[in-house]
Order: sequence, then C-alpha cells, then structure tokens
Amino acid sequence: MFDSFSSTSSFSSYTFWGLAWWVWLGIYILPGIFYVSYHLLKEYRDRPSEFARDLLAAMGRTRGIKDVLGDILVYTIASVLILSTWPAVAVWSFYKKRQDAAREIENSKPDFSCSAKYLVSKVDPHDAEVVSYVIDPLGYVPSLPFGHLNKAWGAFLSEMMDPTDELWSFHIPKGSKCGRHGFAASGDIRGFAHVRSGEILGELITESD
Amino acid sequence: MTAQVSERLIYGGKEITLFSNPLSLYLQQTGTSFESPHTACWRGYVGTWEIIESGGVERLYLVALAAHKTYEEVLSLPDVFPGYEKVFAHWFSGELRCPQGEMLDYVHGGYASTYEYDLLMEFKQGVLVNKHARHNKPPPKKDEKDYPSFLRRGNV
Repeated sequence: MFDSFSSTSSFSSYTFWGLAWWVWLGIYILPGIFYVSYHLLKEYRDRPSEFARDLLAAMGRTRGIKDVLGDILVYTIASVLILSTWPAVAVWSFYKKRQDAAREIENSKPDFSCSAKYLVSKVDPHDAEVVSYVIDPLGYVPSLPFGHLNKAWGAFLSEMMDPTDELWSFHIPKGSKCGRHGFAASGDIRGFAHVRSGEILGELITESD
Repeated sequence: MTAQVSERLIYGGKEITLFSNPLSLYLQQTGTSFESPHTACWRGYVGTWEIIESGGVERLYLVALAAHKTYEEVLSLPDVFPGYEKVFAHWFSGELRCPQGEMLDYVHGGYASTYEYDLLMEFKQGVLVNKHARHNKPPPKKDEKDYPSFLRRGNV
C-alpha cells in the first residue's frame, strides 16, 4: 500500500498514490464544506423575519455587537469541527433523523388514557351492554346500552371489524399515570378498550370526571 | 390564558358557581365540539347543572345549555340532546368544585383563582356520594424573581 508513498526533503512534497497531501486533505474536507455551506444557508433562510426582529426589539431584546460576535464565534467553531470530523457528524445526523422519524410516528399515534396495565378482563360486547343500562327514576336517560353514550358505544363497536379484535374493560385508579404524557388521573376512569394482538387501537371512556 | 366563564350549579334552590366541566367527557366521547365565542370561553358552551333528589338519592342533571355552534348560532339543551329537557350525567364520576365566599387571589387563567371556601362534591356515576367544604388560604405572593427567567417581563 505504501509503495506509492514518496517523500523528498520538503514536507509540502509528500505524496500518496501520486497525489500531494494537501490534495488528499482537500478531498477529505470537500464534503464537509458542502455540509457546512448547506447548513449555513439553511440558517440564513430560517433567520427571524423583520416582523419577529421588530417584535423582539419592542420587547427590549435587541441584539448588540456582543451577541453578533458571539454568533460568529459559535458558527466558526462549529464549522471547523464539522469540517474536521464530518464523517462522525454525518453518522450522528443519520441516526438523529431516524430517531426524529420514530418520534414522529410515536407522536402521530392516538393518545389513549388506557394502557395495557389497566386492562381488567376480556368482555363479550353483548355482556357489556346487558350491564350498562342506566337507572334514573326521573327518566332523563335513554333506555339504551350506556344511556346517553349509546351513539359513542355504537361508533366504538363499529371500528372492531377484524375477527381477532377483542373488547377489554379497563380501570385507571385515581392518581395513576395515564395517557402519552403520563398525567395523573384526577379521578377513577373506567371504560372499554379495543385490543388487537395485544395493542390498544381504541377506547371508550364510560366514567370519568 | 384568560380566566374562564364558569358553569352554573343549582343546589338546594340556590344557583352557585361551578369550577368543573362535567360535560367534557360526554363531548369528548361523542366527538362533539363547539366554537369558542371569546377567550373567556374556550370550551364554547356554558351549562347549568342541578342536583335533584329522588328517593333519597341526589343525582346530577344538566338542565340548561348555551353552546356556540358558530359565533352567532347558539344551541340549547334540546338541540344537543333531542327529546330531553334534562340530562342525567351518568358518565360523571369525580369531584365538582364550587368556590364560595370572597375571592382571595385572582389568576388570569382557567379556574385557577382562589376563593375563601371550596364546596367539594364527589359523584359516582352521576350520584352524589360525598361532600365537604375546604377552607383556603391566600397563596403566598410571588415576586418577579420567583418565576423562571423565560416568564419574566422585559429585562428584569
């Protein structure tokens, strides 16, 4: 491999496979230059609008010479780092994009209060209806399964079309963490979950605050 | 944020302020939503509730509703619940909070203001199961420095 390595007394004349060291350095840095240029251009295009700058100025957040010099220093250090280590930056960027995409998929999923740990038991829809009638001596509730929530129950059931779909009852005790953000339930939450292959695809809350 | 218009509750023949939204679960589960007429009513409706006793059991009913289908068009209770002049809130299990007495601290958001007392009523499937009053103290005054920097005004 090093057959082609040659040198003379001058450092500037070191060659490798017939090319001077500074040519190799240029070849290495070139993708980094593209990467840095692309991101600097992107930063420039995403800069705050004139309106936003005026708004910040009105709020007393004007940028002084110190801020501008700070920006120049930060961008210079970042550019030098990227130029010298761009393969590592490219790998990091690739994995970050993958992580962002995975997070996007996770965020686009519906936010259910119920999770697997709150499932109580598998229920037959007919049995669920039988015990769901609401008693009101004044008659201000329809004589239908789940009373005023009957339409919501119908819409919930209509989503369970797959033969493998299961109906589960659930109970989230007061104070338990629920939902995507893990907020504490302010009261007991009861209802039914649409489960397929262990995954919750829908829920109907029949009791909550 | 803006302090929100409260719901109303008729209890013992008196109409009092209600700092809870018992209708929200029903609306969420049925996919119903209303237009906000102004910033003090993001939910788009104001409900009047009544606790009615029957056979020794007190239940929670929605007895009136003013819900904005659009800014101009306001729906009443029979528009949202056709055929019903009252609606039994059987879906509601939780606590209703009714502020009482003098306002000790005004908070410009939601139902966060503090009053002398809170009348707290606990319901199970629309049936009143417990009630008690809570005596509140004015929250300690906060200075600008007690807030995180991003919430402070100007260059303070």
